[in-house]
Amino acid sequence: LFQGDLGPFNPGLPVEVPVWLAINLKQRQKCRLIPPEWMDVGKLEEIRDQERKEDTFTPMPSPYYMELTKLLLNYASDNIPKADEIRTLVKDTWDTRMAKLRLSADSFVQQQEAHAKLDNLTLMEINTTGTFLTQALDHMYKLRTNLQPGESSHSQDF
Amino acid sequence: MSEAYFPVGPGLGMEENFLSLDDILMSQEKLPGRAESALPRLAVLLGQGAGSAESVPEGSKLEIPLWLAKGLHDSKRRIISVELPKIYKEAWRTVFSADANVVDLHKMGPYYYGFGSQLLNFDNPENPEIAQTILQATEGGPVLPASNSVCPLQTFTARFRRIMDSSQNAYNEDTSALVAQLDELERALFQVGQKGLNDFQCWEKGQASQITASSLVQSYGKRKFTEVDG
Repeated sequence: LFQGDLGPFNPGLPVEVPVWLAINLKQRQKCRLIPPEWMDVGKLEEIRDQERKEDTFTPMPSPYYMELTKLLLNYASDNIPKADEIRTLVKDTWDTRMAKLRLSADSFVQQQEAHAKLDNLTLMEINTTGTFLTQALDHMYKLRTNLQPGESSHSQDF
Repeated sequence: MSEAYFPVGPGLGMEENFLSLDDILMSQEKLPGRAESALPRLAVLLGQGAGSAESVPEGSKLEIPLWLAKGLHDSKRRIISVELPKIYKEAWRTVFSADANVVDLHKMGPYYYGFGSQLLNFDNPENPEIAQTILQATEGGPVLPASNSVCPLQTFTARFRRIMDSSQNAYNEDTSALVAQLDELERALFQVGQKGLNDFQCWEKGQASQITASSLVQSYGKRKFTEVDG
């Protein structure tokens, strides 16, 4: 358990608290949540368009944008203007990123590269595709060791 | 939702894992071979004759399971010689290099990859090419410049994309049509992909933080608390 001090809580004045506390207070109807400054239709549209244009991953405003969006839109959608649009925008951005990830995984496997560098990926995305990708790469490794019966080290040239 | 036990996976490369169920089932697959010397009184065992005192004459063709073939294969004593099953031969290898996605790997022997890896144990001049075909069939990458060598590595690389796409996008649908064409190794990969997808959907629906009865416990058939009277 961790301890700390929060507050002072004065009615009508905005205070910063950890998300879990905010959700809890909101469920008890003791507070109103203010959305983070990146959770705004214009900004999210920009991010989504940039994501579609670029081949690499754009830096996201927060490494937990998926989790935050889900929590805030589930518990506090009345405090967030245009909640539905935000939900759609975030989902679009997520889909674009996942598609990019799969594309790059595919070309990675096709060319049998040894390294891939993925910047600006959030943990959520990594977790979704990680298990499958690591297993597939394991199998490839096993099949590749068939080519070198005597050696134990890797080789890119065959 | 977690596993009840951790299964032992199939072995690496040319070795098998002794405890792996996949390896055990795989080594039951049959290989065509020939008896190099007469095998006294073994005719019944190998399905060749009716009497218990018959011997298998020299040079007759046999279908031997892999585990038996591995044990009996020895170039010095010349008991058995093995040939490649037709799926690993040249003709099929060109099919794989053309398009590995259309081949029904399950029908060809559900353990295409594992079995292929084991075949490399028998010294065969076409070994390196077999290994390459198996690998590349999953990727469909560039065919090697050396003659027409296509290999299991290539099969793997060609089919990988298909497996990834289909496993990641079929949520709650009937996947039996897709899975029917994959061999065991690919099916395991497919299931991992599906599980990842299911877990993500579960999280999105908010079920990840709810406590649900474990599937193991539900099958015990005990009375539920709410049904007990008094």
